[in-house]
Amino acid sequence: MPVDAILSAAPLKFALLCYVAGAFAGLVFFRFERAATLLSFGCAALASLCGLAVCAAALAGGMAAANPSFDLLPSLVPWMQFTVRLDPLGAFFGLVVSLLGLAISVYSLGYARGFYGRKNVGVLGAFFNALLLATTLVFLSGNAFFFLIAWEIMALTAYCLVSFEHEKDEARNAGVLFFVMSHLGTGCLILGFLLLFQASGGYGFDGFHALGDAMSPGKRDAAFLLFLVGFGVKAGIVPLHIWLPSAHPVAPSNVSAFMSGVMIKAGIYGLARAFFDFLGPPPGWWGVTVLSLGVISAVLGVLYALMEHDLKRLLAYHSIENIGIILMGLGAALMFLHSGHPVLAALALIAGLYHTINHAVFKALLFLGAGAVLHATHTRNMEEMGGLAKRMRWTALFFLVGAVAISALPPLNGFVSEWLTYQALLQGFGTTASLVRIMFPISGAMLALTGALAAACFVKAFGITFLAQPRGEHAAQAQEAPFTMLLGQGILTAACVFLGLFPTVFLKLLDPLTQQLTGEKLSGQLTAANGLALSNGALSGGTVSMLGIAFAGLALLAAPLVLRGLFAARAKTRLAPTWDCGQPGLTPRMEYTATGFSKPIRMIFKALFRPRREMQREYDFSPYFATTLRFESHVEEVFQTRIYRPLVRQVLRVSRRLRALQAGSIQAYLIYIFLTLLALLIFAL
Amino acid sequence: MSLDLPDVVLQTVLLLLLAPLVSGCVKNWKAKLQNRRGPPVWQVYADLLKFFRKDVVISEHASWVFSCAPYVVFVAALLAGLLVPMATARAPLSLFGDVLALVGLLALGRFFLALGGLDPGSAFGGMGSSREMTIAAVAEPALMLAIFTVAIAAGSTDLSRIVQFAQSPDWKWFNPTHVMAFAALFIVLLAETGRIPVDNPATHLELTMIHEAMLLEYSGRYLALMKWGASIKQLVLMTLLVNIFFPVGLAAAGPRAVALGVLIYAAKLLALAAAVVIVETTNAKLRLFRVPDLLSAAFSLGTLALLSTFLFQ
Amino acid sequence: MNAPSVSADLGSQLITLMAALMLVLQLLLVVENRVLTGIRLYAIQSLFLAGIAGVVAFFNNAVDVYIVAALTVLGKVVFLPWLLNRQVRRIQIVQEIEPLFNAPTAMLVCGGLTLLGYIVARPFTGLERLGNNTLAIAITLVLTGFFLMFNRRKALTQVLALLTVENGVMLAAIALTTYGMPLVVEFGIFFDVLVAVMILGILVYRIRESFASMDTSKLNQLKG
Repeated sequence: MPVDAILSAAPLKFALLCYVAGAFAGLVFFRFERAATLLSFGCAALASLCGLAVCAAALAGGMAAANPSFDLLPSLVPWMQFTVRLDPLGAFFGLVVSLLGLAISVYSLGYARGFYGRKNVGVLGAFFNALLLATTLVFLSGNAFFFLIAWEIMALTAYCLVSFEHEKDEARNAGVLFFVMSHLGTGCLILGFLLLFQASGGYGFDGFHALGDAMSPGKRDAAFLLFLVGFGVKAGIVPLHIWLPSAHPVAPSNVSAFMSGVMIKAGIYGLARAFFDFLGPPPGWWGVTVLSLGVISAVLGVLYALMEHDLKRLLAYHSIENIGIILMGLGAALMFLHSGHPVLAALALIAGLYHTINHAVFKALLFLGAGAVLHATHTRNMEEMGGLAKRMRWTALFFLVGAVAISALPPLNGFVSEWLTYQALLQGFGTTASLVRIMFPISGAMLALTGALAAACFVKAFGITFLAQPRGEHAAQAQEAPFTMLLGQGILTAACVFLGLFPTVFLKLLDPLTQQLTGEKLSGQLTAANGLALSNGALSGGTVSMLGIAFAGLALLAAPLVLRGLFAARAKTRLAPTWDCGQPGLTPRMEYTATGFSKPIRMIFKALFRPRREMQREYDFSPYFATTLRFESHVEEVFQTRIYRPLVRQVLRVSRRLRALQAGSIQAYLIYIFLTLLALLIFAL
Repeated sequence: MSLDLPDVVLQTVLLLLLAPLVSGCVKNWKAKLQNRRGPPVWQVYADLLKFFRKDVVISEHASWVFSCAPYVVFVAALLAGLLVPMATARAPLSLFGDVLALVGLLALGRFFLALGGLDPGSAFGGMGSSREMTIAAVAEPALMLAIFTVAIAAGSTDLSRIVQFAQSPDWKWFNPTHVMAFAALFIVLLAETGRIPVDNPATHLELTMIHEAMLLEYSGRYLALMKWGASIKQLVLMTLLVNIFFPVGLAAAGPRAVALGVLIYAAKLLALAAAVVIVETTNAKLRLFRVPDLLSAAFSLGTLALLSTFLFQ
Repeated sequence: MNAPSVSADLGSQLITLMAALMLVLQLLLVVENRVLTGIRLYAIQSLFLAGIAGVVAFFNNAVDVYIVAALTVLGKVVFLPWLLNRQVRRIQIVQEIEPLFNAPTAMLVCGGLTLLGYIVARPFTGLERLGNNTLAIAITLVLTGFFLMFNRRKALTQVLALLTVENGVMLAAIALTTYGMPLVVEFGIFFDVLVAVMILGILVYRIRESFASMDTSKLNQLKG
């Protein structure tokens, strides 16, 4: 097995170089739109393909020995090394970024055409490549400095892409919010890494491994909290999520897909890296905190998603939900490590990481579908869509697959990872005698609630967008997306089906990872019946085989077909208008709306949403025959109105006071600097 | 751990044939309790046959999703049925899925049912879909908690193992855990199958219907598949209830034992159907926004059941 | 008489089951808005209490507990519900007005109280012999009864809540300490409550007369 050959740095370097080349190609050829598109996204696709091969080969090869590493650039300062290191955790996330990078780049070849003549496509391509490169380096860097640099480049390029359509107010505001929140997180990360540096004396990730034992409990907890906040901002954990639903939708759809699919996973990567690799054996409350945050994010994310009728905002809120589900896996794993059950910890970790890749795949698929719809209808508002299943057959089919997958319905991949999460939570009940164990089944019930609400939300998203009559002019004239856009979605659809039907094949790739983080290999235990069924290893308390279900379903399809042949052979089919209660003229305005669809849920959870509605009715002779009707309905964003706005107000008040310091004279500033210097010197004494 | 093809076929046939009978019995007994004569118990079969023979009228606004939905609903219900032990202690397809897969399959059917309701663009269908998904969402946590309670006791989510555990001497008949979990699941059963305090299966009154609203545009064989699928789903949930909580007379092997098992199983099923009928007759339909109260009661029962598993040792 | 040791397990199971059902009824009472149904739920709950007393009496051959059981049936399953029913008919209320917490929230609170009850009762679970763990339920009944009392505004429902608190006390008395607790004390509790309910019944009627409402939150109008 030429694992070493694959792992020798050449292919990886080639992939990274391709990204750089793509970025430059975009900038150089920005005047020639077609060439810029083809070259920059072509390079990105090639680089991703290469990265995919490297990461998959690395994981499949077992990665037994030391993690291969090399320095990307000569180090300028002694402790500042640009080390690229391929370890199992990094390789797994590298796999995710490359898989999505491939599909999204292919999609972008067609998607970028929508910007021709309007925007600078070359810049889009350049930043896109830079974002992919930075994200890949975030996962592969083996040094805290290099990590932070990559992390910042990732944030900055993402900022530029969010505000790509900067002529829109919405995009600029979202960009600024993203920028501020992102830096808040980075600040925490810098402090966290400094704490680690203090304990290890270096910045290399190899030196950080299992550092928790060497730190005092207080510092360890501080580092835990700093990393939780720092990476939590990027991941979009409630209540640090507020930037996410405004930033993801305004970016171009291919970028939204990448941000929701991969970039927020950088937060998950950081959490996994910090908690399982760096900080060592966790105290009990870490797991409880992470699990609770996961439950809260999952439930609130899906509830807010249900209230959206902006297709892309809806998807963005679902990212928060799915990050919550992933955190449930990670939190449970921390709790199991605390109670000394490494096998269960590995199971929970696998559940979380499997959901990571699953979410990446189906969320990117859905965003690409939304992008195709946006391309065709020029609106993100679901209330103006409808009837697209007839006009955009393939896009509709792909979106439906994504919707079924994200709703955690068998036989697709969302179900598989949620099944693993359920199993981990169920097994958790027996791991401890304390009352904490009641958290496991309650979290499971909340996961069930999340899943059912997600299904409701995607019935709405698919049903209102693609079914029934078109509600707007653009929707009525919509046309199918070009081939490359469909191909990009097709790749992800295939990935959804593969990850759903063949989880046991994929789980083998996770072996080195769980070996690295928990010391257990589980793929052997998790497969049953010649590798066709998935079983929960620890107690083999249940098996499930999506392949079996899919085949049995196909076989059972014979039953209705036979019945049809027996009894309905002579029945004819004819088209007729929908039943209109005898009053001819059923118009799209009479269809159920997205807002109406989610009304029962808005009512049930009104304590959370605090819905407010205003109605103005003008009429001539009777209120029942209104001439004009204006209806407004709002849902309160609790976190924005209750936490962030008062906070911002306080910050502004304090800064207004501090403005007195800003005298405008150079002398004054020099005095400040001088005084600070003196203070530091005295402090150092 | 091998697939037993005769078992699969037998159970498929049993599901297909028994489901309309149970629906018919419920309808007939309900009428009797209300001093009406009611349709004969075989009426549902006749209805299904009639629907199959009729021509199909499809809305001109509907897309391919509309015609796919009945097949998905029907097959998902049937497949879910093959994951439950009915007359024997082992489900024919237990290797392919556990109780979580069963819940997932039922949700898959519901997903497509709701899409089918939205597709023709009629306001009724949208209303039905919206309500169906809402009620399902609030019922799901209660359902899962009750299932968790049983699964934790048995140490497995595999339905065959759960049932076998229920037959073992460790099982306590008067365990409050089981009573509360049963009550929670019973409420969920009423909600999921559209029974009276939640939905009225007999009405076509526009503003109160949920399940019927989604079927409004369906006709011919599609309607037959939808109705049949719904009754199979009802049978599956009822089977789940009777076999988890009253695991008497589940056959091990052998034709005679299986025949006896079928008889006992039918008796248990009819007893549960009678309970449903009594609840339906003595209660009025709840307002839509009172349904969450009922389901939150089910959720609390599930929580209590769970608490009891480790507090009533 | 069969040997108690053989079926003591059965007895214990029955007691636990009936105690659990009392708890379930209590929760239903918390979400139930109709007063008449509430009274019926209370009657059934009392019936289970009597059942527990009966089982305890049977397995301990304690005649005085039989008397308690009989009195419970007479007083709480027949007489008090009848009295309250008459009251309801006299003042013609059917539905409770909007409670302080809506049903799901109330359920959540009750879930928390149940957990609290279980935690509080934990140290004692090893002590008793027969109805083990009924103490937890008894405490929960008392707690949720209090919660019910301040969650509702109608005086009559508050009386009902008080009665369930009393049921909780009785449950603790019967299931835990009955072997030592003198019959006289139980009679005392019993008649106290009886008298209290009758006085409250009259009061309810008076409140209704004076304020044309039974909403106790209107009592703050008495302030000068």
